[in-house]
Amino acid sequence: MSRVFLDHNATTMPSKEVLQAIKDFASWGNPSSIHSSGRSAKSALLKTRRAFAEVVNCGPTEVVFTSGGSEANNMVLKGVARRLKERGQNVILTSNVEHPAVNKALEQLALDGFEIVRVPVCLKTGLDYEFLEKSLKEKNVGLVSIMKANNETGEIFDLKRIKKLIDENTNKNTKDEKIYFHSDMVQTLGKITVDLKEAGVDFASFSAHKFYALAGTGVLFHKKGNGIEPLIAGGGQEKGRRAGTENLLGIHAFGVQIQKLSQTEERATQILELRDHMEAEVLSKIEGVHVLAQGRPRTPNTSLFIIDGTHGETMLINLDLLGFEISTGAACSSGNPEPSPVLMAMGLSHAEASKSLRVSLGWQTTRDEVDRFVETLVKVVTKLRGL
Amino acid sequence: MSIDQTQTGKKPRVLVAMSGGVDSSVAAALLKDQGFDVIGATMQVWDYSKNRVEEADDCDANGTCCSSDDVDDARWVCDQLDIPFYILNCEDQFQAEVIDPFVESYLSGETPIPCVNCNTFLKFSHLIQKMKELDCDYLATGHYARVVKGENNEDLIQTSEDGHKDQTYFLFTLTKEIIPKILFPVGDMNKTEVRRIAEEKKLVVAKKKDSIGICFIGKGGYKGFFEDHVAPDLFKKGSIILYPENTKIGEHEGLHGFTYGQRKALGVSFTEPLFVKSLDMETDTLILCREKDLYYNKVEVRDCNFFTDVKKGEAYRVKLRYQHKGATCEISNIDEDGKVHLSFPEPQRAITPGQAAVFYSDDKLVGGGWIV
Repeated sequence: MSRVFLDHNATTMPSKEVLQAIKDFASWGNPSSIHSSGRSAKSALLKTRRAFAEVVNCGPTEVVFTSGGSEANNMVLKGVARRLKERGQNVILTSNVEHPAVNKALEQLALDGFEIVRVPVCLKTGLDYEFLEKSLKEKNVGLVSIMKANNETGEIFDLKRIKKLIDENTNKNTKDEKIYFHSDMVQTLGKITVDLKEAGVDFASFSAHKFYALAGTGVLFHKKGNGIEPLIAGGGQEKGRRAGTENLLGIHAFGVQIQKLSQTEERATQILELRDHMEAEVLSKIEGVHVLAQGRPRTPNTSLFIIDGTHGETMLINLDLLGFEISTGAACSSGNPEPSPVLMAMGLSHAEASKSLRVSLGWQTTRDEVDRFVETLVKVVTKLRGL
Repeated sequence: MSIDQTQTGKKPRVLVAMSGGVDSSVAAALLKDQGFDVIGATMQVWDYSKNRVEEADDCDANGTCCSSDDVDDARWVCDQLDIPFYILNCEDQFQAEVIDPFVESYLSGETPIPCVNCNTFLKFSHLIQKMKELDCDYLATGHYARVVKGENNEDLIQTSEDGHKDQTYFLFTLTKEIIPKILFPVGDMNKTEVRRIAEEKKLVVAKKKDSIGICFIGKGGYKGFFEDHVAPDLFKKGSIILYPENTKIGEHEGLHGFTYGQRKALGVSFTEPLFVKSLDMETDTLILCREKDLYYNKVEVRDCNFFTDVKKGEAYRVKLRYQHKGATCEISNIDEDGKVHLSFPEPQRAITPGQAAVFYSDDKLVGGGWIV
């Protein structure tokens, strides 16, 4: 029987259109060259840039191609930090459930003297907007970086509300006191619709391989008028914001897949139905299970189960050996599964966090796959609890 | 060796503990050839990124000093064998069961041997549990040891075909119940043969150097390890005393740098070669002696585990450290708390508290305990 992939928050299988686009790829020139091959490549980049800008509601020149979400996050955090230093604003507000690409970059900035204030996300009540507001009022905040959707629990945060709080606490008469607003939106594409103008962010990070295109390609939305130093210095690519010859194949493939982003709402409805079905089945068939952030806004494809009497690592291996690919939380580059720091930051104990299982559905997931998964999960949990 | 089908008719499944070295790699390859359903697993026991081990810069392409490379080697071998490979996070267990007792033992003046605890609590406890959780019938390792049938059809551990590589010294804490569940596929071979098989199968680790020493002790040696992991105020300066004269001949910076029988780097100059006789942790005194004073013919062994009953008056061959070839001795007494007293007809050099005393009857492992 074919394998069942239920780990779409880690990555997604390239769509058949993307695979075809790779075969058809022809714009191999250096986009910085003046000759025909170069111009053709430049035009191909522009095509993707425009297509992306249109679906996320921004201007094409506000789209900076990067090597992925991690680079986009590092670029904006470190770039803005230099600005803040010049202005004497030394506080960065973030949440305590960010992806390591934000969290570790901020840890580096802390070593440079920045005060990193982490807004708590509580198990029961979610993001503490009051804490956020209080910090904005009391501290010399220069940057707010809060993700749109969490990769482990799927929880969605209200960026419009955060933007409102930022605006209420910014002295509009003094340009120097601007508070930059960044959001890691890597987990949004294909799951929830994105409208950057509505969100009110100055920067946002995206990744192509989370949306059925290729790893190694990402986007930083970089709102006009927020000039920051590039992370990678060199040639003048991406209007001087990101040096290095562009990843033409990855960007081209992403451009082809972007055409499908307009289907997000319809697909999300279908996935949500499947996800709710799965959760209902798991909760009714296995005792001692709960779903994190259940009842709060979540991406429609994600369930983070905490299953008593099991160990995530063993569950994951058992399920893999039986043909089901899931994760205990975030995908870990070393393959060495540790209890998720995000879950522990939310208030789970080390032992509870070790019992987590993240299931993230994709556009191609079928009801049959979900049913087979639940059936197998019941067997594995029963076996492990019986040992 | 041929395999028996399990009752369900499925191939028996075996979890192979893979270190990324040649022995466990060949073990996995042999089991695959024998028709087992093989799963490879490496225990992630230590965060090498946070410790001095990776600072070593003298490793060559085939070296073994960088243990995150070992994980990649294990993974590569599993790819070559087309078997699944997983990393099992055992850092917490390793800290609690191996590192903490190791440090505690050292601070109490012993010279501990952490590999036994790693076998006891990680390989043959934690992995046995994983074996059950993953529906495996057996657990296999690359140890040079054999499981054989005894007179009453019981499973016993026997020394390896390769006497020089024999690792039964590290296995005395196993329980009788788990021995039938364990496979040592390279135990019937010598190292040359194992390497030949690795080369024949073109395993990427075929030419890899053997690991030596303790896996978590890096370039800084024991001394460096303790300086990194123990609060500095626990290292107390003290006197160096010469036995039997009982005269002070120098001072030391902390007893953590010394072990019984040590000759080099003692920090004193003297007209004849001197050796560490003992460490007195209560007075922070280092006691040195001449070689002739290093010999004892009695030893006490605590926390023993035996696979068969032992009695006062019986004679065994006992190894007092891993590289010791073993010496014949007699059990002179067994205390009520199980402590075993041994007497050796031939005095033994530098009997070291914290090391294991491991008992053999011919080539069968009888059990062992810790030298007091």
